[in-house]
Amino acid sequence: MRIEDSVKTAYRGMRANIFRAFLTMLGIIIGVGSVVLMTGVGESMEGVILGQISSLGAKSMVMFPGNNGPEEGAATARPGYDSLKFSDIEALSKLESISNIAPIVFIPGDANYGRESSSPTILGTNENFFSNQSIELEEGRLITRADDEKVKFIAVLGPDIVEDLFPGSNAIGKRIKIADRTFTVVGITKPIGTQFFQNADERIFVPLSVAKSVTGQKYLSYMTFEAVDTFDSAFSDVKYVLRKRHGLVNPDDDPDKDDFTIRSSEQAQEILGTVSLALTVFITFVASISLIVGGIGIMNIMLVAVTERTREIGLRKALGAKSIHILIQFLIEAILLTFVGGVIGASLGIFFSWIAANIVHQFLASYIFAISPMAILVALLTAILTGLIFGINPARRAAALNPIEALRYE
Amino acid sequence: MPKSSKKPLMETKDLKKSYFSSAGLETEVLFDVDLVIEAGEFVSIMGPSGSGKSTLMHILGFLDVPTTGNYIFDGQDVSGFSDDELAEIRGTRVGFVFQSFNLLPRTTVLQNVMLPLMYNNNDSAAERIAKANDAIDQVGLTDRAKFLTNQLSGGQQQRVAIARALVTKPDIIFADEPTGNLDSKSGVQVMSILQGLNEKGHTIILVTHEKQTAMHSERILHILDGRIDSDKSDFKKIHAKDISSLK
Repeated sequence: MRIEDSVKTAYRGMRANIFRAFLTMLGIIIGVGSVVLMTGVGESMEGVILGQISSLGAKSMVMFPGNNGPEEGAATARPGYDSLKFSDIEALSKLESISNIAPIVFIPGDANYGRESSSPTILGTNENFFSNQSIELEEGRLITRADDEKVKFIAVLGPDIVEDLFPGSNAIGKRIKIADRTFTVVGITKPIGTQFFQNADERIFVPLSVAKSVTGQKYLSYMTFEAVDTFDSAFSDVKYVLRKRHGLVNPDDDPDKDDFTIRSSEQAQEILGTVSLALTVFITFVASISLIVGGIGIMNIMLVAVTERTREIGLRKALGAKSIHILIQFLIEAILLTFVGGVIGASLGIFFSWIAANIVHQFLASYIFAISPMAILVALLTAILTGLIFGINPARRAAALNPIEALRYE
Repeated sequence: MPKSSKKPLMETKDLKKSYFSSAGLETEVLFDVDLVIEAGEFVSIMGPSGSGKSTLMHILGFLDVPTTGNYIFDGQDVSGFSDDELAEIRGTRVGFVFQSFNLLPRTTVLQNVMLPLMYNNNDSAAERIAKANDAIDQVGLTDRAKFLTNQLSGGQQQRVAIARALVTKPDIIFADEPTGNLDSKSGVQVMSILQGLNEKGHTIILVTHEKQTAMHSERILHILDGRIDSDKSDFKKIHAKDISSLK
């Protein structure tokens, strides 16, 4: 017996009851379709997030006080929040493996202009912050070293703050109130969008020296900098200097024993990669439930088909079909159902990913249509496997039929 | 398959068949059947329902195996053959014609006739189509080859079934009440085709309960209560109309 005969026979069996075949496939269509759609959305979102990370600059690094990772701000700092001193910066600036150091001191509070009010994140920093975070100027000027040295009460606003405080009017040269002090607006930055789930356009930048004097803070909220060569050498140099200055003994390089936390953009990518992997696993789990339900549907309908076609099976056996021929015929029919269902599901998944991309792209320019070929392949193979697993029992029943009894079956 | 050869094609020795109920009770259906059928014979098996004639045909037709005793086919004892070995014999040496035709619905005549060639066969698609068309020609349905089987009359459907039985060029054709579901005219046509095939050298075994139908063969076996009651060939054979008059 030839395989094409089996496929043709199975195809005719499916065609004979096309609507029932479609209903049977529905579980598989939904299962495969949702896997393809969700992985496609995941792929697109990953593109968005990677785009944000690369917007920081490939060599970007960040250091927080304490050892429990990033903090929201000085106001919510936990023990260890004051571990990074300004004198540490002077020592670190002598390192050749890092550059562009930007210490940051947060100023808590709101910003006001007349009756307009806004609740931005207010950062005191230096000129390096703009270059190591790839922040570009839209209008006016950025903070300079002279502003810092002369403790000038000037401010650079993010575009969303401009919209809040100066709806429809020019912001440059205006005086705004931050923490009961008056600042002159000198510049506006270009829009960035969301970075790490925070709106990067809702920020106000003032000179570091101003923030120090307003808050009286003797320590850094955090700092950003860049690796000159490799992240590894930057990591080890910074750790060496800080451990020595803070009197920490940490020969095992245990991050829990340090009073600071360093992250690179590379690590951020890895963390996001882990998150998206976890999401993929979750989606696959949900989809596999759908595939199991679909598989049970396939098994059910194949059992019905075996009963309905008992006489046909008897006839085929009388005409010389061996048990294996009957087994293969019904198995291929089950696999054909799941495979065709898988192809329809994958096509629908791709189609809806494309629709979703077209809609989301209107709001999130960096969201671009993407599909995961690997996910499609795996989903299709799983569909075929489902047919195999759930088809084997009905097929074996068919193969085991006695030809005489099968021919007599009414 | 020259008709003159007197070598036994099928031979049974002390053939016995019993069925066992789930409680283990034995029901004997055939007792000590000793039978010799030579190549080229046209044999009718007659008997009332429940006599065991169907069981005998199933064993002779390799659809079933005897409980005890031997069945020697073409010099080979097949009584202990496995299901798959029997399937291979059915697919290559035997053709079946059933009372209820057993054609695949919504399928063309050609595809139905090609069905036995799907198994135990390595012919190319073109060879199979040629063989099937040849068999369809033999039953006078050349112009119906592309029809769906449900578009045909009962008599035509049974002729399709005969073509399907013929397509593997089998040694033996088993016909189980082939005229049972047909009007008398179609019945005559079917018997005429079977007689023609017998003349061409096919061994034919016909199961029927109608005396008139059995008279178309050359030898009539009467089965009663699981035994061969009589084995006659001294009767006047009925000749059905020549197949050429059908066309």
